[in-house]
This record gives sequence, structure tokens and C-alpha cells, in this order.
Amino acid sequence: MMPSNLLQIAAPELILAIGALALLVLGAFRGNRSTLLVSILAGLVLIGAAAAAAVAPLGPIFRGGFVSDEVSRFSKVAIYLMSSVALLLGERWLNRLRAGQFEYPVLILLAALGMGMMVSAGDLISLYIGVELQSLALYVLTAFRRDDGKASEAALKYFVLGALSSGILLYGASLIYGFAGSTRFVDIAHAVHTTAAPVVLIGLVFLACGLAFKVSAAPFHMWTPDVYEGAPTPVVAFIAAAPKLAAMVLFARALLEGFPDAIDQWRQVIMTIALISMAVGALAGLVQKNLKRLLAYSSILNIGYALMALSTGTQLGLQAMLVFMVLYMIDSTGAFATLAALSRDGKPMETVGDFAGLSQERPTLAIVLTVLSLSLLGLPPLSGFWGKFYVFKAALAAGQWQIAVFGLVASVPAAFYYLRIIKTMWFDAPAGRTDTPAPDAQAVAVAAGLWSLPLVLVGLAFLDPLAALAARAFGLS
Amino acid sequence: MAAFLLQYLPIVIMLAIAGVIALALMGAAWLFAPSRPDPEKISAYECGFNAFDDARMKFDVRFYLVSILFIIFDLEVAFLFPWAVSLMHLPHPAQVFAFWSMMGFLGVLTVGFIYEWKKGALEWE
Amino acid sequence: MTSNALATNALASSIGLPHYLAVAAILFTIGVFGIFVNRRNIIVVLMAIELILLAVNINLVAFSSYLHEVTGQIFAMFVLTVAAAEAAVGLAILVTFFRNKGDIAVDQANVMKG
Repeated sequence: MMPSNLLQIAAPELILAIGALALLVLGAFRGNRSTLLVSILAGLVLIGAAAAAAVAPLGPIFRGGFVSDEVSRFSKVAIYLMSSVALLLGERWLNRLRAGQFEYPVLILLAALGMGMMVSAGDLISLYIGVELQSLALYVLTAFRRDDGKASEAALKYFVLGALSSGILLYGASLIYGFAGSTRFVDIAHAVHTTAAPVVLIGLVFLACGLAFKVSAAPFHMWTPDVYEGAPTPVVAFIAAAPKLAAMVLFARALLEGFPDAIDQWRQVIMTIALISMAVGALAGLVQKNLKRLLAYSSILNIGYALMALSTGTQLGLQAMLVFMVLYMIDSTGAFATLAALSRDGKPMETVGDFAGLSQERPTLAIVLTVLSLSLLGLPPLSGFWGKFYVFKAALAAGQWQIAVFGLVASVPAAFYYLRIIKTMWFDAPAGRTDTPAPDAQAVAVAAGLWSLPLVLVGLAFLDPLAALAARAFGLS
Repeated sequence: MAAFLLQYLPIVIMLAIAGVIALALMGAAWLFAPSRPDPEKISAYECGFNAFDDARMKFDVRFYLVSILFIIFDLEVAFLFPWAVSLMHLPHPAQVFAFWSMMGFLGVLTVGFIYEWKKGALEWE
Repeated sequence: MTSNALATNALASSIGLPHYLAVAAILFTIGVFGIFVNRRNIIVVLMAIELILLAVNINLVAFSSYLHEVTGQIFAMFVLTVAAAEAAVGLAILVTFFRNKGDIAVDQANVMKG
């Protein structure tokens, strides 16, 4: 009754789960002295899980509840590697604040496990379990600095809105189950194909709203700026990257595998969400003083582009979404690593004004942040440009030129706020001395900057065929 | 549907009457009763003392901790019952798989228990 | 058919799937409003979240019984467990919030805006 390769298919998640539990016990017995050891071991576990995911055999297990296919392999490798970067950033950052605890790496592992479940979910139950495991770990990570009032307020808002979105998602899932008669995506697709009961689509709308919360697409983005501002910077670097990819892949799988015949209905919903996200992200970012909030609106804008790629419903669109998300994850992690590296008198530098004249004192980080801003802006030939290039190409190939034009228009106001950061750093009078940058965060930032300019041209040659292979998973045209 | 709802009509009527009477009594007191408060009248009357504290006092946060821990371990039973009932009705290979699945789940719970014990969450002081 | 089975049948025909769905929809709406309308206490918000999840459970169990299919009940079991974990995390976050602000009124969560 069980396929013999069950253990191999589930290997990445098993490694993560067993690793997280073992490290929790280790930490419980040895206390906070073992934080560094637990972090190193957790990094190894993540890399091991990424390796196991890269070679995992394909196929559904647990009666289709857990699916291993090209897209899940692709995204798992990306997610686990990004999680290990967040682990590195956070461990050192918390250590400098004397707030290091061995729970941090364990929570990162559990969040990564949840994300692995999300990208492999072939069933509404595993979808829900994955989403919740990831979310619960992220709520706790947001509140990780218990003595910080802002962080606990951010965590509370994140929790309340996140739990509400899970509830909405779940209500949709229950309606889909009831009217399609099954929780498995393939059976749902079959039911939609044969009976086409319109009431299933009501469930789909609820499900899509819940998932839009998780990817922080407008108009479900209310939590994003507050959480980005309040949470510890390395945690934000984590929240802004890997969970977004996981949720987008889950979104794609639920729509393309569960509702391929209802594409004309859900395409309108996704397009609307994409348009609103681009508008909100571009306009609301203009008035932000806090750089973390600004990056939050930037992430809403970018999710709009990713949803635009998803709304095509084609293989090209899925490939564009994957390439775009991977490139965006690297840019955004680099930007938050820059923030994590910099401080003034031991306090984090967060407002745009804090960065005045940074080019004179910290030229390396100023150059990195300039490159990353230009990349997020989409200037060729930086990595952000290539991500958008794929998205626009897919949208035009699907004949959706209206939304592509809107996307181009939305990047004009966004250009203002990216250029304002650059102007402040290079042309304003210095705002005072900064502390020596943290070496680990600076290394991550420089690596992201290097990837964004020259390396992406080489990296794309590898990323493109991998994403193309991954996009074939759903058998789209 | 309509006939089904009709069965509940007496209850609706009763609720309506109850609501009307309650509102009428409260409204009558508000309308007709003389109300001339002075400081002595509205001060607390409790054996001559002022009230020490709000009756809805705050609970010690440790009660919350215990209840949080209780919720989680309480719910394992929700899995154990259906598992125990259906285990013996399964064919043999599935039985072995089901047995070890539950052992895995209990193992996870045990890890959680070890963690909370070691963290001192079970100590009252 | 025994009289007992007849009685069950009669009950089943009078209270059907739509009634359960209606109750669940009402509870779900109350839960959502409980989160948005409530201005006083965050504990009430946690209760509203529980209400939403329980509404979903009613849906799942009603569908499961209607379809004669057990997946819905398994789903409900998972939802119960996750609801407990969520309540635990929510209470824990609430405790840290209380320690920082000394209050758990909804209006206290107002440092960040925009």
C-alpha cells in the first residue's frame, strides 16, 4: 500500500523534523550555552534537507497528500538555502544584542519544514498544516525579542491577522471539500471538470483571500508594514523571502492543479489582486520614512508582479514567477542584511534620514544598497530587471498587455522611492558616525549585491532551464 | 424549510414577549423612578469600607502558562481515541504503519514535554 | 425499520445540510466581526478566532456526514489540534505584549501606523 520510495520522497521533511526535535532536546539539556552549536547543526540540517530535496524522486505519497514534483524540488532547494542565510544573519545579530537563544535556529527549522509542506501539498489538509506550521513559527520569531514593545505589538498584529486569514482559508477549504467531495487537488479538478458546480468557486474565493494574506498582496497587506517595522531585522529578512516563495508556489499549485478548468474565473480575481498590490505598493511607499516599512511596500509591489505572472496560467507564466521570486528573494535578503549590518551607537538605523551620507563613511554598504535599490527598481542589466523581463514576457505572450502596461506605470512612482534612498546616501550631509558594520551581515549583503550585478548574468543561464523544468510540473501549455 | 421553521415559532414568540417585558420594566424604572443622587447615596456601601479592589481582578500569569501547556497535551487524546478504536480493524501492514505513526506522534509530544520540563515551565515558583 | 431508525430518519430529513451550513456561516460571520468590531480586549479577539475555526469544523463534519466520507472528520481533527497550538502561541504572544505595555486593550497596539 505504500510506495517503496516513501522515505526518499519525504526525506527533506523528515530530516528537518527530526533535526528540529533533536536540536530542541539538545538545547533543552545544555541551555543557552549551546546556541552556537545548535545554530551550526541547524545550518547543516537545512543544507542536508536541500540536498535531499534536490535528488528526491518524483511522485505522490500518502495517497496524494504529499507531492514531490519538479516545482516542489526547485522551490524546496531555494527555500532551505534562503532559510540557512536567515539563520546565519539572525544568530549573529541576536548574539550581538545578547538575546541569543537556542530556540531561534529550531524555529527557523520548523518554519522551513512548514514551507516544505506548503510547496509539496497535494491536498487541502496538508496545505493547511503547512501554512499553519510556517505561520506559527513566524509569529514566535517576530516576538523573539520579548523585551521589545514594538516587536511584541508587531507579533500580536501578525498573529491576529494571520489567524484570521487562516480561518478564511480554512472556511474556503471546507466549502471546496463539501462541494467537490474530496480534499485532494486532482479529485477537486476532476469534480470541477465534470459537475462545474459554481458553489465550489465560492470556496475558491475564500481560499484565494487566505493565501493572498499569506503572500501579503493588497488589499490583504495590512499586517506587512507593521510586522516589517517591528520584527527583528534578520527575522524580517526571513519573512520577506522564503515564505513568500512558498506561498506563491502553493497558490500556483492550488489554482493550477485544483482548478485548471476554472481559469477564466480565478484569473480575474488574481489579476485584480495583482493590480491593487502594484498600485498600493507603488503609491503608499512614497510617504514612508522608515526604510523597513518602505521595503514592506516594495515587497507588496513585487508580489503584484509575481501574481501578474501567475494570472497568465501558462507554463511560461509559472516559469516567470519562479525566476522572479528567486531573484526578488536575493535582492530583498541583501537589502535587509544591509540594514542588519548597520547601526549607530548600538541602535539600528531604520529611517531614510539615518542613511544620509553613508557613501562617505561606509562606501561598500552604500554601493551594495545602491545596486540592490536599482535592482528592485528594475534597471537593466541588474537581476531585478531580468525578473520583471520574464514576467512581462509571459504576460504579453498570454495576451494580457493591459496588465503589463499597468505594471510598467506602477514602477514609475516606485522609482521615486528607490532613487530617494540613493540620493540620501550619496548627496546628503552625513548624519553622524556609524558603528563598525557586522561582518556576517555585510558579507551576505555584498554577496547579494554581487549576485545582483555581474553574477546574475551567469546565474541566469542555470536558473532559466531549472525554472523551465520546474514549470513543466503541472502539465500546462 | 418553511414548515421546519414554523416549529420554532412558539420559541420566537416567547423570546419576543420576554424581550418586551424586560425592556418595559427597565424603561418604566428609568422613566418613573425618582433619581436624585448625592455623594452619600452613590458611595460604596460595604460594611462601611470602600471596596479594596475590582472584583474582576487580574489572574496571575502563571495560570495562563499552565492552561497553555494543558491545551496542547489535552488534545493528544483527540488523536488517540479514533486511533485506538480503528487500529484493530485495519489489515496487517497498515496496522504496523498506523502503530508506528502514532508512536512517532507521541515521540514528538514527549520531546515537547522534555523541553517544557527542562525550561522549568512546570515549576510554580 | 425500527422505530428508532424511523425517528432518526425523520430528524435527518427535517434538519439537513443547509441548516448546518447556515449555523456555520453565522458563527463564521460572528467570529470575523468579533475581530474587527471588538475595541476592548485582545482575549476577545482570541475567542473570535476560535469561533471561526469551530464554525469551519461544523462545516467539515456536516459535509463529511452528508457525503458519507471520512476525510472531513479527519480534517476537523487536524483543525482542532492546530487551533490549540494557535491558541497557545496567541496567549504566549499576548503575555509578552502585556509585560511590555501593562495592558491588553486593543487600542494599546498603536505604536506603529501608516
